[in-house]
Amino acid sequence: MPELVTLTIDDREVQVPKGTGLVETAMGAGIEIPVFCYEPRLGPAVGACRMCLVEIEGMPKLQAGCTMTAQDGLVVRTAATSDKAAQGQNATLEFLLLNHPLDCPVCDKGGECPLQDLTFRYGPGTTRMVFPKRTFDKPIPISPTIALDRERCILCYRCTRFSEGVAEDHQLVPRNRGAQTLITTFEEEPYRAPFSGNVIELCPVGALTSTQYRFEARPWEIQNVPTVCTMCPVGCNVTVTTREGKVKRILSRNHPEVDQGWLCDKGRFAFSHLRAEDRVTQPLRRVRRRGFATISWEEALDETERVLRGAGGRIVTALSGSETIEHAYGLAKLLRTGLGAHSAVLPEETDVAIDAFRLPLSAIRGAELIVVVGDDPVAERAPVVDLWLKLARRGGAEVVTIGAAGSVLTAPGSAAQTCRELAGSGSELGRRLRESERAILIWSSPGGHGGAEIAALAGELGFAGKPGSGAFHLPATPNGRGVADAWAAASDDEGPNPEPIAVLVVSGDEAASDPHVRALAERAETVIAIVMFERVALGWADLVLPGTSYLERDGTAMNLEGRLQRLRRAAIPPVADELSWLSQLAARFGVDVSPYPAPVFEELAGTVYGGLTLGELGERAALAERAQIPAPAPDPDTEPARPSDGHYLNLLPYRPLFAGAAVERVPELQFQRPAAEVELSWDDAQRRGISSGDEVLVRSNGTSATLRARLNRRLLPGVVRIADEHARDLHATVEVTKP
Amino acid sequence: MTDRSHSPRNPIVGTAQGFGVTFKQIFKKPITQQYPEYKRPLYPRWRGRHRLWRHENGLEKCVGCSLCAAACPADCIRVVPAENTPDNRVSAGERYARIYEINMSRCIFCGYCELACPFDAITLGNEFEISEYARDDLIYTKDMLLAEPIKQVPVADPELYDTPIPYYKTHS
Ligand code: SF4
Ligand code: SF4
Ligand code: SF4
Ligand code: SF4
Ligand code: FES
Repeated sequence: MPELVTLTIDDREVQVPKGTGLVETAMGAGIEIPVFCYEPRLGPAVGACRMCLVEIEGMPKLQAGCTMTAQDGLVVRTAATSDKAAQGQNATLEFLLLNHPLDCPVCDKGGECPLQDLTFRYGPGTTRMVFPKRTFDKPIPISPTIALDRERCILCYRCTRFSEGVAEDHQLVPRNRGAQTLITTFEEEPYRAPFSGNVIELCPVGALTSTQYRFEARPWEIQNVPTVCTMCPVGCNVTVTTREGKVKRILSRNHPEVDQGWLCDKGRFAFSHLRAEDRVTQPLRRVRRRGFATISWEEALDETERVLRGAGGRIVTALSGSETIEHAYGLAKLLRTGLGAHSAVLPEETDVAIDAFRLPLSAIRGAELIVVVGDDPVAERAPVVDLWLKLARRGGAEVVTIGAAGSVLTAPGSAAQTCRELAGSGSELGRRLRESERAILIWSSPGGHGGAEIAALAGELGFAGKPGSGAFHLPATPNGRGVADAWAAASDDEGPNPEPIAVLVVSGDEAASDPHVRALAERAETVIAIVMFERVALGWADLVLPGTSYLERDGTAMNLEGRLQRLRRAAIPPVADELSWLSQLAARFGVDVSPYPAPVFEELAGTVYGGLTLGELGERAALAERAQIPAPAPDPDTEPARPSDGHYLNLLPYRPLFAGAAVERVPELQFQRPAAEVELSWDDAQRRGISSGDEVLVRSNGTSATLRARLNRRLLPGVVRIADEHARDLHATVEVTKP
Repeated sequence: MTDRSHSPRNPIVGTAQGFGVTFKQIFKKPITQQYPEYKRPLYPRWRGRHRLWRHENGLEKCVGCSLCAAACPADCIRVVPAENTPDNRVSAGERYARIYEINMSRCIFCGYCELACPFDAITLGNEFEISEYARDDLIYTKDMLLAEPIKQVPVADPELYDTPIPYYKTHS
């Protein structure tokens, strides 16, 4: 229990734990100390704006309240009771407005702007400035997604502190000093970083604005819908702003255990895929080899029914892992109980073992030792987890990454082996993990048996008895676990894998873009695809049923922590959503599927989630207790990767964060997508006389690609990394030469 | 309180009194105005059909800020802004109103939009003869609002206009 101190604010006695910030202390007592630059998530207060001036008894001058903490016996007076403080704040605002343009009617921040609000309440009513104001070119696009207006900047340094101290990308910087300070990007390069969009939300004025939201709406013209981002398995809580039924922007909704109010740029900016020009808004039937004709819903349902009936149960379903649980359940119920088609390609392996070591993501902040096992950078698989890791590292935690590009280098694909070594008695790191009370394991690699591998390690290290220690498995799909649960909840029966496949049902664009699913489609007689985008299905699907996006669905999804969260429909889809036509189709097979998500959830929750109700999830869902599951036995047959012989290099393809059918359809995000590059280790590059930026030929047994070389000093020699969209046909070992 | 409904009164007297009032009116000058043949001049500050204005150089004054829409108690203004570009400069500021609509069937002619506008871009004119046969025709677009009203209503010269003495002042 921390020591309590008593202080007086505006003649009111307040008791708080020692060290609480004065702003929070006052807020707790219902007293406002206005701020611009103060933001505890950005690290220690800097006192840049002087908006928070307060009078403190015994101090001759006004003090910046945000830089002070609660001390015993402090007597604080805010503008409400102290004329001196009120005058000080009034003067501060007059100074801030000295060069601030009168842009409110044309400024995107207008109506939700702290500078407007605080000037209205604490500032001068009129200006005494008669001379011309300072002007700059504006707006400056510091990236395709962010516009900077320097005239409006009040130099609070929130944005640069975020870039330097939270995202640690060091790209947004202040230039010059004093009143001449300008916010700019490093070397005037575009701000290309996975978390850049957060500075828009941080900026207390309209200096950093979103280009997508530019002049789109005013705060009194919008609706805000609280939902959850399911572009990746983190499941950040978001607020979706819509105007006239169209999604205009996405803001964070700050779930302190999940995202702490940060979003990645994919989650923030990718929403315009809803209006992609090849969006499927009508059922389609294949005509000729590479064409589609639109058909009516009646025809589409008749045709689907005919095809499914004709299949005689020889049906395989491929799921994406981006469906809501309800949607997956509806599909599963139709196919499994209605047609006895039990064969599915689930998006990924899942295992409940990891639930025994469950922790909220915020626990990473408090950890002292964090071990990340795997070849994929955490930011590519679950971006916001990377911010938690950085926060932990700044707080003094030790973060060890073990992988082909980690702080400890291992051969690619040997994450499971690493786990075995850590569990062994000879490992020093393993010993420290065992001894630590607050240690965290993270699996960031493909495979891992749905978390079973890392859970086995956690079990061996005795994490089950340590509430501060836990393990996370970073899955590849946003809701793979929920979809697997839904599929399992629909039926207990099993069926053989049909051969040959009569019908392949492909649900979602991710599954439809998956090469394995495409290979399966080659063997199927008929392919039914439920997709959002026409081009994804073109040339291989026989019947296309329109899909919807997570922003258009009501339902639930389970994130990587195992937290069940509620999605809400922000925009009405341009087509009937999946559940509504699934329910009609199911009725033709005598299966009862409700067209509404709530009854569907109720039905399946009774089987898999212990009768949980939607109401219990709430706005910010809580994490379920740790499950009591014995840790699984480690998988004995882990195959170590073949070491490279120097000439041939091991190809390590990775799935970049900015990839996928949705991102491809957002013009503003194209600059974030990985360039056609091959990452080489320092040694390999030197041996071949390659330097960064050179064009190189990457060859493997019959296929080749010309890519630009990029040196990655942290990469294990003998390994090359290529984004999978550029590594398409290359094999596991490649030769890299200078042409 | 006295209950008057039961007070004794001669019905003939009452009827005669009533007709007496009617009879007296016959000899007075009628005050009926034959609209639409005669159009009585309006007060200069009468609030009627809106008008959007341009600067002298032809640029629209409206910057599409939606403040009028925020002020409107009937929620009948719809503004969709867009960005001015060097090739397509419509207004003086960074943005302009790509769509500006007022639904006249909902407007209560309160004039709050005029008060809210930071650029004096919108004012309420004197035109009130704006009935239509279809409701949709009452949604005025930006082009309609920028144009001169088709029908003009005479407005009294404020110098000559004598404000009538309110009834309650002469009869109390
Ligand atoms: S751009 Fe915005 S956040 Fe950055 S210093 Fe200026 S006012 Fe602050
Ligand atoms: S980190 Fe994931 S859940 Fe969060 S905003 Fe980005 S894509 Fe969405
Ligand atoms: S006059 Fe009043 S009701 Fe009519 S548009 Fe203006 S603000 Fe709205
Ligand atoms: S008329 Fe005036 S208040 Fe309305 S959008 Fe235009 S500039 Fe803004
Ligand atoms: S909020 Fe205290 S100085 Fe900015």
